[in-house]
Amino acid sequence: MSALRITVNGREHVLSAPPETTLLALLREHLGLTGAKLGCDVGDCGACTVLVDGQAVNACLMLAAQADGRSVLTIEGLATPDGLHPLQEAFERHAALQCGFCGPGAILSAKALLDANPAPTGAEIRDALAGNLCRCTGYTKMITAVHAAAQALRGAGAEMPPLGLTASPSIPLPGGEKGGGLS
Amino acid sequence: MSDRRTVTEDPALRESLSGLEASARLPATLPPAQFPIETLVPEVRQQTPAVGQRATRPDARLHGLGQTKYIDDLALPGMLHARIKRAGIAAARIVRIDTRAAEAMPGVMAVVTGRDVPVNSFGPSLQDQPVLADERVYHAGDGVAAVAAATDAIAAEALERIVVEYAPLPAVLDPFEAMREDAPRVHPPASNVYAHKIIRKGDVERALAEADRVFEGRWTTQMVEHVPIEPHAAIAAWDANGRLTVYSTLGRITLGRADIARTLALPVNRVQVIGTIVGGNFGGKNEISQEPVLALLAKKAGRPVKGVFTRGEEFYASTTRHPFFMDYKTGVGRDGRIRARKVRLVLDGGAYCSWSETTLGKACILATGPYRIEHVQVEAFAVYTNKTVAGAMRGFGAPQVCFAYESQMDEIAAALGIDPLEIRLANAFDEGAASPTGQTLESVVVKASLEQAAARFGWREPRS
Repeated sequence: MSALRITVNGREHVLSAPPETTLLALLREHLGLTGAKLGCDVGDCGACTVLVDGQAVNACLMLAAQADGRSVLTIEGLATPDGLHPLQEAFERHAALQCGFCGPGAILSAKALLDANPAPTGAEIRDALAGNLCRCTGYTKMITAVHAAAQALRGAGAEMPPLGLTASPSIPLPGGEKGGGLS
Repeated sequence: MSDRRTVTEDPALRESLSGLEASARLPATLPPAQFPIETLVPEVRQQTPAVGQRATRPDARLHGLGQTKYIDDLALPGMLHARIKRAGIAAARIVRIDTRAAEAMPGVMAVVTGRDVPVNSFGPSLQDQPVLADERVYHAGDGVAAVAAATDAIAAEALERIVVEYAPLPAVLDPFEAMREDAPRVHPPASNVYAHKIIRKGDVERALAEADRVFEGRWTTQMVEHVPIEPHAAIAAWDANGRLTVYSTLGRITLGRADIARTLALPVNRVQVIGTIVGGNFGGKNEISQEPVLALLAKKAGRPVKGVFTRGEEFYASTTRHPFFMDYKTGVGRDGRIRARKVRLVLDGGAYCSWSETTLGKACILATGPYRIEHVQVEAFAVYTNKTVAGAMRGFGAPQVCFAYESQMDEIAAALGIDPLEIRLANAFDEGAASPTGQTLESVVVKASLEQAAARFGWREPRS
């Protein structure tokens, strides 16, 4: 057992855990943060994605000890008492959350992208979400949602970049909203 | 930990707790944050007219916040973790199972085998599936023993210490081989063909003989796993009155409740099944799997038991989509009108029936497609093989036959030099058309849908 000093969602924890404890097990079983999910346990599905020092990682593949001295953000730390994060709002609004199991991981992968690249192209978004499998096949809506969140984070005046998708202009979103993508 | 405080630090709380024993003054853990989870009101308040309206999922807010509680996010006090040992052999007689070394491991609280199951069979239509294989293994994903331990790692380690001796039996892995009279029986003495259906309309042989052109072909589809991102998960807990509560990812909880009660030889009213939010089902969570095993472990250990399938178990120990072998013989006039269609379907059902009967029935009714055909014959067989079980998956057999009849439609169109859209419009159902089984169909919009789709993507515009 080694003492670990890990900041989770802005709060510092001093913990001891058996050396084989993964970061995912630490978060879910020791800290009660169950937003990151165990989907495959081998780093394929991305349901366990969290941010470590701003970088999206598969928490099932990272040992808790490797997070010593670092800062971890889970989905529980994304919203504030004042409101949802623009990504959470956009995912909800654009119906990118169906069963919801892959949602926390996908949102955090998107956050890592937008923190580094405030105006990503469709290809860059797809690349950033490539490690987050969604079996309800909500990818198109996720990509639309990430575009919308990027726009919101840049300020409402910014122009929406082309989606790089086969958008259907004949099915506009109600309310004259500038949506895009296949709704 | 820095995020903990003692509730007695709060004067108001201290006041309210003053009458309680000191042991009740446990440290309270603050929630990680206070979220804006005011009631989410759907934008569409009325059910009709809903088409064209924008709607928001009422559960999306909690999904996005990571606050939705799936089964694996729940924990009951004293809860143990279960693992199931899988046979890893397609067909065998079980000679002996030695669980002593596993039971002796520190942290192991209960071990069960098929002999501990009161009624060791279940299934949504035929009860042909053992909860845990006891005398015979029917496919490699069969469970043969299960362990409940203080941690998942101890349970996994304990599985390695369970010794199972098998006497291998000849396995049948091909459905056509399984249909032969001399093939080994998967469930002796029962026939390997466990479901069979014929639909006849008109005189298909005469119509085929009189048709201008006859097209024949075989199409096959593969086994498909649902792969929900959330694996199968369940928690079983008994109360002191001998009532069982099962939290499960099960989609059909009333059916599952009856099945669980039956396998445990309990009256149905002693079993409560709580279905929670499910992280993907797609038909793969429509019947019980590990629930009775967890219940038996929980009873033996006297503690709640949770079981979560590994990703591997999702592939070999849960159901899949049936592989189909589809032979089509279709008689067509020079005008492109289909006069007769004869279809033979063979469904590879794997080791157990599961939802095969439903799949077979639906595939038969839909096998000739949404087309007006006067002379029809459809014959279908569901066959046991010593493979992963095929069951329900989105559409129950409809996608497989659609692949076959639409593929053949394209071949016919190409051979006759008719546009693929026009040949479909010439044959498609109209309002009031009859299905092959004689059902009169209403609200038929096949042609309108085809026309609208063709207009949307410019099918009739010149192509380069």
